[in-house]
Amino acid sequence: MSNLKEIKRKIKSVENTRKTTKAMKLVSTAKLNRAKLAAQQSKVYAQKINEVLSEIAYKINQYKIGGIESRFFDEITTPKKVDIIFVTADKGLCGGFNIQTIKEVNRLMDDYKDKKVKVRLRGVGKKGIAFFKFQDIELHSSYAGVSSAPTYEKAQEIISEAIEDFKSGVTDKIILVHNGYLNMISQELKVNNIVPVSFPEHVESDSKSLMELEPEEDETILESLIKKYFEYNMYYSLIDSLAAEHSARMQAMENATNNATERVEMLTLAYNKARQESITTELIEIISGVESMK
Amino acid sequence: MDILKLEIVTPEGQIFSDDIKNVTLPGAEGEFGVYPGHASLVSLLQAGVIDIELTTGKHEIVAVNWGHAKVDESSVTVLADGAVAIGGDSESAIASSLNSAKKLIESMSDSDVAIATARAKIESIARG
Repeated sequence: MSNLKEIKRKIKSVENTRKTTKAMKLVSTAKLNRAKLAAQQSKVYAQKINEVLSEIAYKINQYKIGGIESRFFDEITTPKKVDIIFVTADKGLCGGFNIQTIKEVNRLMDDYKDKKVKVRLRGVGKKGIAFFKFQDIELHSSYAGVSSAPTYEKAQEIISEAIEDFKSGVTDKIILVHNGYLNMISQELKVNNIVPVSFPEHVESDSKSLMELEPEEDETILESLIKKYFEYNMYYSLIDSLAAEHSARMQAMENATNNATERVEMLTLAYNKARQESITTELIEIISGVESMK
Repeated sequence: MDILKLEIVTPEGQIFSDDIKNVTLPGAEGEFGVYPGHASLVSLLQAGVIDIELTTGKHEIVAVNWGHAKVDESSVTVLADGAVAIGGDSESAIASSLNSAKKLIESMSDSDVAIATARAKIESIARG
């Protein structure tokens, strides 16, 4: 009898888990739709601002325009110190979503260590921060609680310090790593070298002329454009990551729900077998009891 | 080459993307018109209206609050913080887009002149 009770208890527990995972899946589906929309809307802007910046970088390098904050555009072949900003989720239960980002960060760190380049980490998202803390790897700065509700202001806050360090020459390169949204069922790891601004060998546009700036008396326009470029890339990483997180969680929870359903079926089968078995034994006992009384 | 490719994007998405004849942009140092073959230029934009002449000869108006414009010989890219396209199928849609355009400009610009110019422009468009 105790066996029966045991199985019944297990079924109940798995069923409860199933309820939870199912609810989590529904929540993620709802949140995903919103996050996806936000990411898709911002994608155009992010693409455009990157295009514009890379074209400017191309022209500045092409014509060697001096006086402009060329630090942002000069490709540094031997960086001494690199800032890696990574974005992970605040919560787990989303399959390999966080670990993919962490693995990539580790790979980058090893890469740079081989080249004797100092690496500094800036982490966004509790999961990534916790991982590196556990590994005893120091994070230069960490921002928890941003990943689940990204805003433009928070993105500004995160990136501003990194820009300051880059401007003053403390770091030579900034890399942004996040796991981005590809479609409902897959994510795509994105590694973005935000500065120095990378540019293609040949810009597609047929414009050959020098670029003029307006207002031209100072560099405020380039500076404001660059600031926007940074902030927007950071912001886009955050919302793209959020959309990807929800899609990953949706999938993970879907799998978990399916597994739980399967498990309940298996356990129910085992329960029925055990029940039949116990009935049979009881019957045999009764019959043999009656037989012996004759 | 007598057409320009114009794209207006904001953080909320793409507002406009089409081939056009010419466009007038509210530059920080004054309004400027762009025709095909314009010299490369990156300009800061102030709150105001973008006047677009489509290849059909029709005009389209978009209000922006702040942003950057990148111009070269064959294309114009406007990166705006906020933009509202003025127009619609019905009178009420046009009126509501006009109102939101006015609000957008007033919320961003601290220069009364810019607001007044933009308002006057919007209103003249509304009447025309």
